[in-house]
Amino acid sequence: MKIAWKEMKKNKTRFLILGSIIFLVSFLTFIISGLANGLSQDNAALIKDLPQGQFYLDKDADKTYNLSKIDEGVQQQILIDHPEATAFSVQMGFVNDEDDKQHSLAFVTSTDSALFEKVKEGEIVLDRSLQEDGIQVGDVLTNNQFSGEFIVKGFVDQQKYSHAPVAFIDMTNYQEIYRVMEMQTIFIPGKDAPTLSALDSFSNKEFLNAIPSYNAEQMSLNMIVWFLVIISGMLFAIFFYMMNVQKIGLYGILKAIGMKTISLFKMIWYQMLVITAISLALSIALSQAFSLIAPEGMPFHLTMDTVLMLSAVFMVVGFIGATISGFQVKNIEPLQAIQQGEM
Amino acid sequence: MSAFIIDEVKKTFSNGEVEEEILKGVNLSLKEGEITALIGPSGSGKSTILTIAAGLQKASTGEIMFDGKDMTKMSPEEVRHIRATDFGFVFQSSHLVPFLTVEEQLQLMLDVSETKMSKKEQTNAIEEMLKLVEMEHRKESYPSSLSGGERQRVAIARAIIHRPKILFADEPTASLDTKRSKGVMELLQELTRTLKLTTLMVTHDEEMLPYVDRVITMRDGYIVE
Repeated sequence: MKIAWKEMKKNKTRFLILGSIIFLVSFLTFIISGLANGLSQDNAALIKDLPQGQFYLDKDADKTYNLSKIDEGVQQQILIDHPEATAFSVQMGFVNDEDDKQHSLAFVTSTDSALFEKVKEGEIVLDRSLQEDGIQVGDVLTNNQFSGEFIVKGFVDQQKYSHAPVAFIDMTNYQEIYRVMEMQTIFIPGKDAPTLSALDSFSNKEFLNAIPSYNAEQMSLNMIVWFLVIISGMLFAIFFYMMNVQKIGLYGILKAIGMKTISLFKMIWYQMLVITAISLALSIALSQAFSLIAPEGMPFHLTMDTVLMLSAVFMVVGFIGATISGFQVKNIEPLQAIQQGEM
Repeated sequence: MSAFIIDEVKKTFSNGEVEEEILKGVNLSLKEGEITALIGPSGSGKSTILTIAAGLQKASTGEIMFDGKDMTKMSPEEVRHIRATDFGFVFQSSHLVPFLTVEEQLQLMLDVSETKMSKKEQTNAIEEMLKLVEMEHRKESYPSSLSGGERQRVAIARAIIHRPKILFADEPTASLDTKRSKGVMELLQELTRTLKLTTLMVTHDEEMLPYVDRVITMRDGYIVE
């Protein structure tokens, strides 16, 4: 593959242009993917951070969790049969701080479980983003639907729901605020979750999609990500096609002197591999740097798993694009090249 | 003994509904250590017979015997293998690879021919060949910095570095002035004799004929003398 490398060294500008385009497209893809993940965390970290398991909603809720009301008798029986299970509810609401400033949040309450924060009556545990808004441990918060007061007991990291910080409160306080006795959801962790005849069951992924706006938001962003991936594949195909057209004479002569067509394909693949690897390495480095300097308010979350998965996809798409362009090389007749002038 | 036999080769081109017979039955035997020149007016079929003999296009009918085997009955892969190992090519334009240095052009040909030489033997062979064509001082130069004559010398070196049995040269002096053309022909003559090559050359330049062993004249798809 020395010949492929030599060509790249001698024609730096040509390959630099292709590399910079791939770099820009892959960088943009990583950034949008980071935003998609960030928004996903912002929308549903409370649910996403739960272990794999099964969620159960009331059948009458028509798969909409905030319409779900699980019968207390059914809930009690499930919690007895499955000690690891927990029932929980989430509702959007607000609290007023000591300066009477209102803060939107998602109230969460649950039965006794290690998966959710334990709070006593009159206590509240908040997502840390509210600390940045000036709320401190020991502050007193109020809600106009609640007769008492909440004392801030502490903060937890990355507990968001529907783009709002989560507030863990006791079940009795929750029932007073929302005038409801039943819980919305039951969650049983583990792979072998049972089928419960009175309830609809959902996997983690299905339950996320039941959250209003989650699916629409993620679909839009993921569509952009995949479009960018497809565009990068097309760029490879088009760019290599144009380069191949310019090199018909060269390929023809190489074929005339006996070079195998597969060697010409290997040349194209090698060049594609080098360009993509360098472009992706730069994109990964820059996107990781971006995640460190991204503004506080920007929901940006780019994991190495996502980066590696997208990089592998870029490689595959690049390979397909370069191979498609290579089919014209297969059809080049050596004689054509000999009849052409100097290369 | 004939190293290469072209027997009753015909070539017909179809241009829509019109069929044109370019070669009307060509018979030719090439001998080892000899340069055979094909001459004739434009359209006489001399380049067509050269490219058919070199396995770059197919004959419509006839046989091309090389090493006792009929090339017209071989698969494209077998023909490619012969081109890589047993044939050498010099074209009208040198057709050097623009991004390879002079010595890399020769290394490429050794790679393509899948030579069994060790790395050291290959390096020595390249050095020897560059001395032979008097290009060792330009071994690290790129084609763009060489003169027309120098490029053609490198093209000849590339064509024979893998020790082919047959050398095909299609108007190798057409793009050169008289002095450089004579230099290239002297080189071809010397290499054909010392390396015992069988060389088939197409030319329209009668000044080059003193350097060849046999002259074959073609006209209208036939060999006339």
